[in-house]
Amino acid sequence: MAANRWLATGNYFTSYQEEQRIFFTHLDRSVFMVFIALLFLWPYFFTLSNKYMLVIDNILIAMVAILGLNLVTGFAGLISIGHAAFVGVGAYTVASFARVLGDSHVVVTHFWPLLILLAGCTGAVFGAIVGLPALRLKHLYLAIATLSFQMIFTWTINFMRFFDQGQTISVGRVFWFFGKVARKQHYLFWYYVALILVIGIGLMIRNLMRTKYGRCLVAVRDNDRAADAMGMHPGLTKVYAFAVGGFIAGVAGALHAYLYRGVGIESFSLHESITYLAMAIVGGLGTLHGAFWGPVAIKMLDLQVEHLAEVAGEMLPANMNLATALRPLTFGLVIVLFLMFEPRGIANWWRIVRSYTKLWPFRY
Amino acid sequence: MTSLSISEVTLTFGGLNALTAVDMEIEPGLITSVIGPNGAGKTSLLNCISGFYHPTRGNITYGDRSLTNASPHSVSILGIARAFQNLELFSGMTVLDNLLLARHKNLSYSFFQALFFSGKTSRVEAQNRAYVEDVIDFMELEPYRKHTVGSLAYGIQKRVEVARALTLGPEVLLLDEPMAGMNIEEKEDMVRFVLDIQKERGTTVVLVEHDLGVVMDISDQIYVLDFGEVIGAGKPEEVARNPKVIEAYIGEE
Repeated sequence: MAANRWLATGNYFTSYQEEQRIFFTHLDRSVFMVFIALLFLWPYFFTLSNKYMLVIDNILIAMVAILGLNLVTGFAGLISIGHAAFVGVGAYTVASFARVLGDSHVVVTHFWPLLILLAGCTGAVFGAIVGLPALRLKHLYLAIATLSFQMIFTWTINFMRFFDQGQTISVGRVFWFFGKVARKQHYLFWYYVALILVIGIGLMIRNLMRTKYGRCLVAVRDNDRAADAMGMHPGLTKVYAFAVGGFIAGVAGALHAYLYRGVGIESFSLHESITYLAMAIVGGLGTLHGAFWGPVAIKMLDLQVEHLAEVAGEMLPANMNLATALRPLTFGLVIVLFLMFEPRGIANWWRIVRSYTKLWPFRY
Repeated sequence: MTSLSISEVTLTFGGLNALTAVDMEIEPGLITSVIGPNGAGKTSLLNCISGFYHPTRGNITYGDRSLTNASPHSVSILGIARAFQNLELFSGMTVLDNLLLARHKNLSYSFFQALFFSGKTSRVEAQNRAYVEDVIDFMELEPYRKHTVGSLAYGIQKRVEVARALTLGPEVLLLDEPMAGMNIEEKEDMVRFVLDIQKERGTTVVLVEHDLGVVMDISDQIYVLDFGEVIGAGKPEEVARNPKVIEAYIGEE
């Protein structure tokens, strides 16, 4: 009987290579392709105001960062409270070029793809260095080591004249094939760059997870004694996890620097690190698509809180800024609620929806 | 075949001697059992061989390689695999993934080939998957291939533990109480597997076990430990007659 390649009617695999596929049916693949195409095409049909474009860009950059954090904390189980610092390392790599060569030097404006890659590499180097304590430390102690990196990073930038003591270092507008990316296209341009990177990195992580380089991460998370007995070096595996996580964070940092056309320390503070961790938890640790849900949920929540504050603000004395008060409140509440009721995050809802629709309309 | 020899191994924790001058010669291709009352140092001995502990004094050699200060991952790469007493499985993963992890050192493709899941990556993965399927077939784990290990029954998990050690393709297999806590049918199954591992695969088996009936039946060679010392060694029938062994097990008259 010929296998139906459009609908999953049964298991028709005849070789192990067939079982390695990401998409088991043509339908799955087509839905995915159409979805990606829509992401690329929608800007031709709608125009969003800069305010909302910025939110979307921010979400995509956060997705890149969370893909890295999810690898370290979700897959490898190493709590990292210094992820914003790794993102900062990437951003400050770009900033240091702008600082030395001038913010509109050709390297900064024309060779930005290379700079993004370089920012990733710096992130990887710092990641590996910060990961070194993982050779000795475990669990919360390791988390404190990453926290100390966050502290050292903020402190160093704040006191370095080279980085203007953490004040904004501007980065010039970039060039693309059609010339300088103008003010009007800026957000759209970076939307596409970030989108391509999110899809690219997402697919690569998906690939990694079906090879030994991904399995070894989950192995050290689940049981590093057994991982050791299976012939992998648990310490080095953790350092490797930090390096890859650092690379992805560095890429996110460079994107951030270019999007805001400047780098300031306040975007890479401890507060941001915890926000990243919250995004990873709300999205769902240890699942690939959790890295996409988390940033969307948290940033959307942020937007809603702002709306709410505006509405409620009219009924209150003018000198109160409700948004500043409401934001940490809702934010904290959401994290607590998720940890209590859905520790596996939004990714779990997605799993439930999928397994339900797979068999729909039958219940068995 | 390479033989594993343990000479004068002493393991001390503070003032406590877990092992005192233990001498053992593990013959290749045979089933060697280590028995003894609780706390005799059997698991400590296995931990020393597999690199989790390093002996305070003495030497462990495998062929011409010293294992005295080797780390667990280098021991496993030399071909000595270990199944743990208290299940040390990757409980969130499927049986298949658990076994594939044991193929880690045999998966020879680079990080960048893995990133793009190149043709070579796919091929090597498929080859090793075939190897894993062999072991699944051997250990009769077919129905549980895609099950999460944590959700399986204890007896099956024990079998997965042995299967995972076997997937490493070892020359020497260290089994730490593979039959503990099993019912009679599961024990019989496990005994059959252990015998098959030795006979069909030619693997040297080091078995730590409490069930004396099993040990006496299947071992080629037995070492008896008590308070960290070897009090008797030899063929099953010799050990059974050894007055020191009888004393350790059932006390003095």
